[in-house]
Amino acid sequence: MRNTLPVIIAFLAGIAMVISFFFNPERTVLGTFQENLLQWVTIVGGFTLVLGVFSIVRVNARAVSRRSDGWFYKLATVISVFAMAIPSIMPTSANSAFGKVFYSIFPISWAGAFGTGPDSIYDWLFNYVDSPMMETMFATLAFYIASAAYRAFRARSAEATLLLITACLVMLWRVPIGEALLRGIDVRIPDYINMFVMNGFNLSVQRGIIIGAALGMASMSLRILLGIERTYMGKG
Amino acid sequence: MKKILRSDIIRIVTLTLFITGFFAISISAQTAEDPIFRTDRIAIFVFLLIFSSAVLLYTNWAKKGKELFVRKIPGIAAVEEAVGRATEMGKPVLFIPGIADVEDIETIAGLSILGRVAKIVAAYGTPLSVPVRYPMVLAAGQEVVEQAYLEVNHHDAYDPDTVRYVAGEQFAYTATVNGWMMREKPAANIYMGAFFAESLLLAETGNAAGAIQIAGTARPEQLPFFIAACDYTLMGEELYAASSYLSREPLLLGGLKGQDFVKLLIIIAILIGIILALFNVGGWYNDIFNVS
Amino acid sequence: MGFWDKVSNIDRRWIYLMVAVATFFPMIVVMQFPVELTPEAVQLYEAIDNLPDSSVVMLTFDYYPSAMAETRPMSIAALRHMFSKDMKVVTVSNIPLGGPTIAEDVTRSIAKEYGKEYGVDYVNLGYRANYVAVMHGLATSIESIFKADFTGTPLKDLPLMQDVKNYNDIEFIFVVADNATIDYWISIVNAQYNIPVGGGVTAVVAPKMYAFVEAKQLTGLLGGMKGAAEYERLVKISGSATRGMASQSLVHFLIIFFVIIGNVAYFVTRKHEKGQK
Repeated sequence: MRNTLPVIIAFLAGIAMVISFFFNPERTVLGTFQENLLQWVTIVGGFTLVLGVFSIVRVNARAVSRRSDGWFYKLATVISVFAMAIPSIMPTSANSAFGKVFYSIFPISWAGAFGTGPDSIYDWLFNYVDSPMMETMFATLAFYIASAAYRAFRARSAEATLLLITACLVMLWRVPIGEALLRGIDVRIPDYINMFVMNGFNLSVQRGIIIGAALGMASMSLRILLGIERTYMGKG
Repeated sequence: MKKILRSDIIRIVTLTLFITGFFAISISAQTAEDPIFRTDRIAIFVFLLIFSSAVLLYTNWAKKGKELFVRKIPGIAAVEEAVGRATEMGKPVLFIPGIADVEDIETIAGLSILGRVAKIVAAYGTPLSVPVRYPMVLAAGQEVVEQAYLEVNHHDAYDPDTVRYVAGEQFAYTATVNGWMMREKPAANIYMGAFFAESLLLAETGNAAGAIQIAGTARPEQLPFFIAACDYTLMGEELYAASSYLSREPLLLGGLKGQDFVKLLIIIAILIGIILALFNVGGWYNDIFNVS
Repeated sequence: MGFWDKVSNIDRRWIYLMVAVATFFPMIVVMQFPVELTPEAVQLYEAIDNLPDSSVVMLTFDYYPSAMAETRPMSIAALRHMFSKDMKVVTVSNIPLGGPTIAEDVTRSIAKEYGKEYGVDYVNLGYRANYVAVMHGLATSIESIFKADFTGTPLKDLPLMQDVKNYNDIEFIFVVADNATIDYWISIVNAQYNIPVGGGVTAVVAPKMYAFVEAKQLTGLLGGMKGAAEYERLVKISGSATRGMASQSLVHFLIIFFVIIGNVAYFVTRKHEKGQK
């Protein structure tokens, strides 16, 4: 039963989604079933967040209690989790039952600091701590691209040489100085790059990969629905 | 063999006729203004029937013992070699099942491959680390890895923190995993699933840490990054084929063949479209594929 | 180890340093370059420009703060274009972190410049989880998904939302995204509900989108900071994307330089190795 029940649930949920796709949501229950099922996914997802918090606290708290390497950073991680989470779930007014109890203990002037609205603790931490860190991480991509290009773009074969030349042309075309340079050589080159490279080779290759991946995805979904592929459940 | 072929074809044709007939009767019985069935999606329905029939047919053949040839995919073949290398070096294997949630089919494909990799890792006694970005993936991942250790009778070696939740934010996740890579220097990094802007950040750090790297994603925009920084890359559908390929189970391989057959049909449909368009008579043909 | 061997195995931190210098230099010494237009950017601009004045359009903020350098200028230029044509703008985000807040900050500041009133000329719906469900749900009723806007005001109290009930009341959707949500705007909203969708995406995502532009599933495309700079030129403003073109130009040239040097080193060292054998 432990093996069969999840497969049956997966099959029923999946097949219901497939069937409801072909029915009019305004005329049948089946049509709205898809929407309801997707909302269930969101609700279940919300509950699993507790698992995530439990995992992150357990792994890091263990390292802190053992004073293992970098324990201080792990402590900062745990504190950060709660520093972001707790003020954001505190009541922002005394209207609710929880709010009444909370603001009978704490002054109501604190209300603005809680929740996720403008000027709240969450908002402040997000704008001045989290957001700049995210931007910094994304910006490092430029450095990594440079080092990867230096190492990987080698004219080892005819195909690699073609790839290398095309990449350099596209890089030139995508910036104003490069485009001006290409136009200086021949005024039609930038248009040709757009027409033949981006809307030609690039487009057809992307389509090939997209179609192949979509078929792979559909095939995998079918295998899951029929219970042939069960490894993702830890079976088979 | 001929008998198998004939009985399967009869079954599929009967099923197709039955479902098509059911829909045809239903469609003819409804008013055009407010239909119960989405007649505008009939093309997708027909495609669904053809696709499902092809996959099921090949799966059935595989079940009955028909030899199916599947070309060698070097990236998948390298997985065992990578784990072997990690075992020799006494260093861990890092596995990332993408950074999308469990509702993404790429994540499911990643988890399926994780199941296969975990079995090899458990058999060799190599440490495994699976950082994840979503709690749902954490729950599924823990189940998959624990089961793999059980199946090779090494459950005592299973650590529940092998699969651990890191952070819900993309770059916080990446920073943590990159830090771990630089400290622990894993011998093999396996990235299988949906990846976004962090793909190169992870792969380039893994390269700097000296790991052998195998990646697989169905996101075409991330493939160039993995190709530049990894030793092997599975492209698009190869990701979905990897689990079947690693298992070598005929049932799963049958699905791959069915998928290839449909791809052949699509190529033929494209060629027909091109020829009709060349003679400027393809209007009706395009309409078949117009879906809303 | 010879000179070219050293070049071949250069410490990657030197590369990082040179990229940093190439990025910062144009910020200190101000340089401006003319931005040429691509047909895809013009197509997007014309799609919006050809809509009747006062049309209702949807603008999405489907991006994290990390991709703001590329995507935020697109949102700003789009809003300037829309407000200059007196269009009514409904903003939405499918990203929990950043998107709704950026939408709030950007839209309010641009609206102020054009004297637009919140609730009448524009509304920020904010974020709801599960974008697939959201995209399907908006087709039936916006209010079924968003009971209230980003600030918690019920939609029934916002005059603009009295006329905007679902996709049928929206003329065009301009998706600014740094991730996969644009795939779903195309495959769900455009393909299944026939609403024209235009796209502004990061440079990494852009190549994939050409297939959808060609298939007319995407009406125009802005790719990365260059795309944003093109839109800025089209709406006749000089924003951060136009200014960023100088840094991007130098870094692109630097990467091409690295590729050339890397290849010279590769061939010289290979020749040397062959000679030794």
